[in-house]
Amino acid sequence: MNEIIATNGLSKSYDGKPALIGLDLAVPRGSICGFLGRNGAGKTTTLKLLLGMLRRDAGTIRLFGEPVDSEASSIAARQRTAFVSEDKELYPFMTVDQTIRFTRPFFPAWRRDLEEKYLDLFQLPKKKLVPKLSKGMRTQLMLLLAMARGAELLMMDEPTSGLDPSLTEEVLQALADLAASDGTTIFFSSHQLAEVEQLCDRVCLIDRGQAVIAGVLDDLKAEYRRILLVFDAEPPRELAGLPGVDHLRRRGRTASLLAHVDVDAVVERAREFGPCSVEVRPVTLKELFLDHVRGE
Amino acid sequence: MLWYKAWLETRWRFAFLVGSILLVWIAPLWLPSTGVTPGMIASRMWMALQLESVLISVLAAIYLAGAGINTQTMYSATSGFHGSMLFTLSLPVSRARLLVARAGLGALETCGLVVLMAGYMLFLKSGAVSALQAFDYMVRAVVCTMAVYALSVLLACVLDEMWQFTGACILWVGFFLLQSKVNLVSQISPLRGMSLNCYPLTAPMPWAPVAASAVLAGVLLYASVLVLRRKEF
Amino acid sequence: MNLRINFSSGVPIYQQLMEQIKHAVDTGAIRGGEQLPTIRKIAEELAMNPNTVARAYRELEREGFIEVRHGSGAYVGLPSTSSVKVAGIRKAAEVLRPAIERSLAIGLSESELRRVFEDELARLQENAAAARRRT
Repeated sequence: MNEIIATNGLSKSYDGKPALIGLDLAVPRGSICGFLGRNGAGKTTTLKLLLGMLRRDAGTIRLFGEPVDSEASSIAARQRTAFVSEDKELYPFMTVDQTIRFTRPFFPAWRRDLEEKYLDLFQLPKKKLVPKLSKGMRTQLMLLLAMARGAELLMMDEPTSGLDPSLTEEVLQALADLAASDGTTIFFSSHQLAEVEQLCDRVCLIDRGQAVIAGVLDDLKAEYRRILLVFDAEPPRELAGLPGVDHLRRRGRTASLLAHVDVDAVVERAREFGPCSVEVRPVTLKELFLDHVRGE
Repeated sequence: MLWYKAWLETRWRFAFLVGSILLVWIAPLWLPSTGVTPGMIASRMWMALQLESVLISVLAAIYLAGAGINTQTMYSATSGFHGSMLFTLSLPVSRARLLVARAGLGALETCGLVVLMAGYMLFLKSGAVSALQAFDYMVRAVVCTMAVYALSVLLACVLDEMWQFTGACILWVGFFLLQSKVNLVSQISPLRGMSLNCYPLTAPMPWAPVAASAVLAGVLLYASVLVLRRKEF
Repeated sequence: MNLRINFSSGVPIYQQLMEQIKHAVDTGAIRGGEQLPTIRKIAEELAMNPNTVARAYRELEREGFIEVRHGSGAYVGLPSTSSVKVAGIRKAAEVLRPAIERSLAIGLSESELRRVFEDELARLQENAAAARRRT
């Protein structure tokens, strides 16, 4: 069983409005996968479906290689999973200490050593009530709860949202360390493309309820190229139809192509249209994102 | 730990209710007593206690059931559920277990209050009442209150916290009015079943409302589990 | 070692890391025979993916630049003239290749290209000598 998360044709609607339309997702063991998409694209819905907070309309979900289609199977999966929600809310009537003591008994594989380590590293005040903690400390507490339970899979919804750069770096470092030491699979949604490029080996971009790009980030960056063509007049629209071209943007006399896989062939075909100049450049994650969610 | 969490959630409400009960008990100390005889005080006290027992029972049943099923969540039309509910739901626990722990502790607290009040009243009448009658009263006070509690739990599973409280109050006030109009309803009413006004200590056990309450409590609690299982967050 | 990666650049991260490690050896920040930080340490310090660090180490090992000893860690290879030369030559080829291709693409012949190269080399040596005379 290599895939920790695997969905097939996952669909979900709210009041007739579709949120996910046949999402196929695969996250292999040990990878750090970034889940990208615009607001409302379906990221939180996907996470909630994986955790059993929502019921799917169609499609299948497999976690740890087992199908998750009943409350019992969902509970079994949650035993090995940790989740950090976007707002990082915990119980307002508990202190840091009480929260940890509350969570511990649910997980027989609880690691006291990690609990101690992160309490110390994050300098969390044990007797402080949770609502008195800053968002940064709440994030750290939730990370502690997630990591000390010995989870094989960590899912997070916008883990660094609202955090200052130094806390952000601490969180990312903790995640990198977790992946390096325990081989924990990490799956998180994020708007911070820079962080995703930094930490993730895989990405999945979801738009309008479907996955539009998914794969190993290094490979994606190697496969995609931006081809800039300058013409004497308005660039021809037919460029968009060339095989291997994902996206075309025309501005004035310049055409910007996002090309995929056999870039040399695309360049050859593009030259046939007689441009004055041809330039090929690598593509950043931000460009991949924007080109795929905006479109011409 | 879920029971511990439920205790942490409800302890201030519980303390408030205990305080309210005690406040009524010591009323003779702080209410003006000019122009009244000890006999009048005693009878007024008794009336107050009877009223108190019903009111507090119902209040407790609503109030203690309220915090918790949807606990500490804010529901907004745009972003749906957020808050600590997502944390709870991400734990490897079944919805049924979540409900049992939270509703279970609230039930224990409510019964504790009912027993406290009933105990005090029985103590005041200890000479005039047999052990069996005392036991009967305890049982019916608890069972009838549990019917009110069970409805509150179901409402808490369906509505958010603010509406659960208001909704339950409105419902029981409506029920109270209804029972005075419709004979069948008054025969099986939990509110009447727990009241010493309707069924005095020396009267025989009113099986109709007690049985109806027991059935109602069971059915409503089961329905709550079903509702919670199907709920989406 | 002061490692700095540009995560948004088009250059694959593992390659950047390899360059940075080689640069650290060039500057003497880490010397031949010394132990490199563990994969875990680098991943954590830079908050980057450990698989990527592992890949960089693998490639460096394949090039013979580092040596991975079982159970004890990764060590920078001792500088033997031949291995440094080989690496240096390979690096020079990588740097020159695109320049050569572009020059040939704009229409220079091989002999013209060779002349340009020698002229540039001579100019650089002249500048270096002039700089030495000034100091």
